[in-house]
Amino acid sequence: MKEPELEIVHLSKMFTSADGSSITALKDINLRVENGKFVSMIGPSGCGKTTLLRIIAGLEDSSEGKVLLDGEEINEPGHHVGLVFQEYALFPWRTVLENVEFGLEIKGISKKERRERALQYIITIGLEGFEDKYPKELSSGMKQRVGIARTLINKPKVLLMDEPFGSLDDQTRNNLQTHLLRIWAEAKKTILFVTHNIDEAIFLGQTIICLSPRPGTARKILKVDLNYPRDRTDLEFNRYRKELQDFFRTEMEWSVG
Amino acid sequence: MKKLKIILPFLILLVWQVLSFKKVLPSYKIPSPLEIIDALKTLIIVGLPSGYRLHGHALESLLRVGYGFVMATGLGVPLGIFMGWSKNFRQLITPLIEVVRPIPPLAWIPIAIIWLGIGIKSASFIIFLGAFFPILLNTVAGVLSVDPILIEASKTLGAKDKHILLKVLFPGAMPNIFTGLRIGMGIGWMTLVAAEFTGVKSGYGLGYLIMIARDVQRPDEIVAGMIVIGLIGYFLDGIFRLYEARVLKWR
Amino acid sequence: MELRMKILAFFFFLSLWHFVLPGETSAQKIRMGYLQSDLHQLAAFVALEKGLFKKHGVDVEVAGVFKAGPEEMSAFSGKSLDIGYVGAAPATVAVANKVADVKIIAQVNLEGSGIVVHKDSLINKVDHLIGKTIAVPGYAQVQDFLLRKILIKKNIPLEKVGIIIIKVPEMIPALQTKQIDGFIAWEPFIAKSITQQVGKVLIYSGEIWPKHPCCVFVADTNFIIMYPQKVKAILKAHIEATTFINKQENYPEIVNIGVKYTGMDDETVKLAMKNIYYEFMPSVEGELEYVSFLMQLGHIKIDHAKQFVDSIIEERFLLDLLKNE
Repeated sequence: MKEPELEIVHLSKMFTSADGSSITALKDINLRVENGKFVSMIGPSGCGKTTLLRIIAGLEDSSEGKVLLDGEEINEPGHHVGLVFQEYALFPWRTVLENVEFGLEIKGISKKERRERALQYIITIGLEGFEDKYPKELSSGMKQRVGIARTLINKPKVLLMDEPFGSLDDQTRNNLQTHLLRIWAEAKKTILFVTHNIDEAIFLGQTIICLSPRPGTARKILKVDLNYPRDRTDLEFNRYRKELQDFFRTEMEWSVG
Repeated sequence: MKKLKIILPFLILLVWQVLSFKKVLPSYKIPSPLEIIDALKTLIIVGLPSGYRLHGHALESLLRVGYGFVMATGLGVPLGIFMGWSKNFRQLITPLIEVVRPIPPLAWIPIAIIWLGIGIKSASFIIFLGAFFPILLNTVAGVLSVDPILIEASKTLGAKDKHILLKVLFPGAMPNIFTGLRIGMGIGWMTLVAAEFTGVKSGYGLGYLIMIARDVQRPDEIVAGMIVIGLIGYFLDGIFRLYEARVLKWR
Repeated sequence: MELRMKILAFFFFLSLWHFVLPGETSAQKIRMGYLQSDLHQLAAFVALEKGLFKKHGVDVEVAGVFKAGPEEMSAFSGKSLDIGYVGAAPATVAVANKVADVKIIAQVNLEGSGIVVHKDSLINKVDHLIGKTIAVPGYAQVQDFLLRKILIKKNIPLEKVGIIIIKVPEMIPALQTKQIDGFIAWEPFIAKSITQQVGKVLIYSGEIWPKHPCCVFVADTNFIIMYPQKVKAILKAHIEATTFINKQENYPEIVNIGVKYTGMDDETVKLAMKNIYYEFMPSVEGELEYVSFLMQLGHIKIDHAKQFVDSIIEERFLLDLLKNE
């Protein structure tokens, strides 16, 4: 069996609130994500999924425990762990091309070569012809595609995605989900995809990690045994949906009660 | 409404000229528009003093302001970016800045002459002081206004500190930097007249010109000089705005 | 809202009115101006110090102390002064350009200026000034005239000398730091450059134009018309002050007054006074010289020089007083 790409060991995160009391955002998270797998992570708001992603990306420190990538601990951000933001986070002063080639520019790759590579990715995400446009001229769906290309071009070992399709309309979201699966199939990347949308989690992930809030813990891990491309109207699909809905209903009762 | 915008200045000039003609407005206090235009002609053709023509004065002044402005930008922008980036550095250096800032550039004149002598160095120094603070403070504000998420995104794309400063903070702060540059240039140009009172070795300068016009008691030439200063300031600002629109076309 | 607007408008127009109103000539105190640290104007200091104005029945207050003549003339223009001690050249320019309306009612001094160079400088002839930078207090002032006069006399083209304007108090520091090669100014700054061991005199103004008039006593024309008696009284004080200065036995007291009003030390004041003649009779030829110089440089345009000079010098009061002596 291959070494897990990403391993999260006894991870906890505590915050000090304004009145001095301690809030536990994440408690004893233990996860293993295998090479090339597509893992969905789902949970209601306040369950700490964004915090978890940020810790994995190295943008924040954990209070306890550690994150291992290929056996090595992650302490700071870098291009090996890519992160796609819900708010796109495109550099507004850079064109689509310049945004995509950002990572290569940092690495010091020649202008000619990085332009070539960037154009390839732009074609892959279906934005050929838009390379000289500025983010303000793009639709939300286009922006997110640029965000994905910008991260993928760096060939990260793991791709983290923080509710990337959250602010999009249904149509665009479905398009991008299909698009993403295609890219995943070609690039064979390890993807950790965070969402609060049950349908999306099932549609995309081979494994679904369910986080429950206060404190954030990984309470349930579900394997989705469906072939791609998946059908939302499928009976099996519905079974998974019901299972997750029931789980979260009880979880809500738990936290409210 | 647009017509009024164009007609109004001419109307004012007309009324002004008539009042001067009728001696309602005394000539020695308020020269008439025609007298001012005459004075302008003299300044352009003959010069004040004789032989020192207007374009020479204007060019020399632009040189001094340019020199001071370039220095202010060269120091103000990098320092501002660094101050915006590092909270520690910002807290360390802010008290010093806040104490020096309120000192009017003109108060520096005696010291400037002692340090740098009379000549373009001391005049440019005064202008530098006028332009520096708006440039610095706007740059800092610009850096602080860069969405932190862009900085984080750049980190996940492999950016180290120097990349963040150069490729994220600097371009991200550009809109504010430009505002600072425009304001700094405006203040620098205004400080010019006073700066040129420190003594102008070359005998050229618009502020110096006004001083001479006052010495020889020619209010018409004084006002003509003032108008030239105002017009040049207006054009400088316009040039900045044009360049700004081009560089910031991504907004 | 209506009421607030009305009140605002009221104050707005009130302040506007305040600015637009012409300056008032006080019927009580007479407003006098003189030049800062200018030993030429010693008569003014003596008159003030010894209460001579009050003695002759007029209440004079110092309404302004100026760094240079043109500034003082601007004050006359703005109707802030009634009488003043000022250089003949700035006064002439202001009247010729119709910026101020004053009359010369008496002379104040003759000579009392000079060209100073650095004490270590190799310049010992006027010819050596070619290619050098010399500071003057301002264009169209007495010192500016004197410098050009000597250059022309020595056949030195004016473009060959760099003439720049610096405020007189700043001239000695500028010379000391070798920013300029020399300057021409009024006493006691010449004496000071010597006592401060910074400069040496290249040529005194008396060598350039012997017995040249320098500062004059002027009065606003309106003031003269309205208060002729006061003008006479003021002149009495001026004559008494000038006469007092010229009496040998008063020397120590004069020096003290000079020290007090110029802020310079004993030694400097004594040295400076050697270079100045205190005189109250105005000089028509002197004024004519100034007029033709100013016309030559294009600073003023006069059709009839003699006529102008006759109109600007108002000797009536002075002659009246002397007749009655």
